[in-house]
Amino acid sequence: MQLERRDACPTVGKWRILSETALKTNGAQGSDQDLSDVERVLAGDVEGFEGIVRRWQGPLVNMAWRYCRDRGRAEELAQEAFVRAWRGLAQWRREGIFSTWLFALAANVFRSELKRFPSVNLPLEAASEPSRPARQHNELAAQQSSDAVRRAVMALPVRYREPVILFYFHEMDVGGAARTMRIPEGTMKARLARARELLRRRFPHLEDENRALKLADREA
Amino acid sequence: MNEDNLDRILKSEEDLVPSSGFVAAVMERVREEAAAPAPIPFPWKRLVPGIVLAAGLLSWCGVELMRLGLQDLRAVAPTQLHLSTAFTGTVGQTGWVTLALGVSMATWLLSRRIVGRSGLL
Repeated sequence: MQLERRDACPTVGKWRILSETALKTNGAQGSDQDLSDVERVLAGDVEGFEGIVRRWQGPLVNMAWRYCRDRGRAEELAQEAFVRAWRGLAQWRREGIFSTWLFALAANVFRSELKRFPSVNLPLEAASEPSRPARQHNELAAQQSSDAVRRAVMALPVRYREPVILFYFHEMDVGGAARTMRIPEGTMKARLARARELLRRRFPHLEDENRALKLADREA
Repeated sequence: MNEDNLDRILKSEEDLVPSSGFVAAVMERVREEAAAPAPIPFPWKRLVPGIVLAAGLLSWCGVELMRLGLQDLRAVAPTQLHLSTAFTGTVGQTGWVTLALGVSMATWLLSRRIVGRSGLL
């Protein structure tokens, strides 16, 4: 199975239509659709599940992709998560938001599947630091830098890797990431801080660049 | 958390679009699952009397062991001394052995739990 890749990520916001904040404004319709589809499935209509798959395929495949960095496997993992969701649909308590339940279930599936068959990751020390090409190759340098940081994230210990993955998947919403992992927000913040510290220690030049950017901003 | 380079890099994640056959593949699996006969449930109802019986037996044994172990040894008649000494000594030791086994079991379970959480199992 081959996935297409988009260059940018302009539609990330669409994933969050059912997050708590968005639900208050424009997510009620999606929530209603989820609820009605769930009720159809629980009443015995299997086809009702198709609506759920259509609505949540993008987020789940992308979430799986962040866990394994393998497009084919991301689809397999997302498919497994959907099947588990179908089996356990009756366990969704209606007072909770469907997406929160689905993401938590999916995270659990990805975690356990990747524990059984781990994707090949380098140790953090082996994640190479990008070279610094000449200034005219800024774009290339940025690309190299991004790739190296993402590889380093995958090399983090699982305990710190998952919070980082989910924090950025939830567009830097600590609460959303914590609910998906089913851990307290304080624990999530502590793990994120530790992960960032590990990454900064591995890539000190990112901090230098950051300081330079801030200085340039201040001068401007 | 401040916006910095790490945030900028990790936030700007590329977006994957699921393949066109993804929904069909998922629905095919779901339909297969729905069509498959329901798994035979574990016969808990049949097992319950056995569990209750075993629990009762274990409790009775525990109570008896404790009762015998705590019995006043001075009450033993002199004529039965040679027999009762050996018997009460054994009973007293049995309590300690049971306790040691319990502690070992708890330690083993705890270590398995810790190892399981660390992802080594």
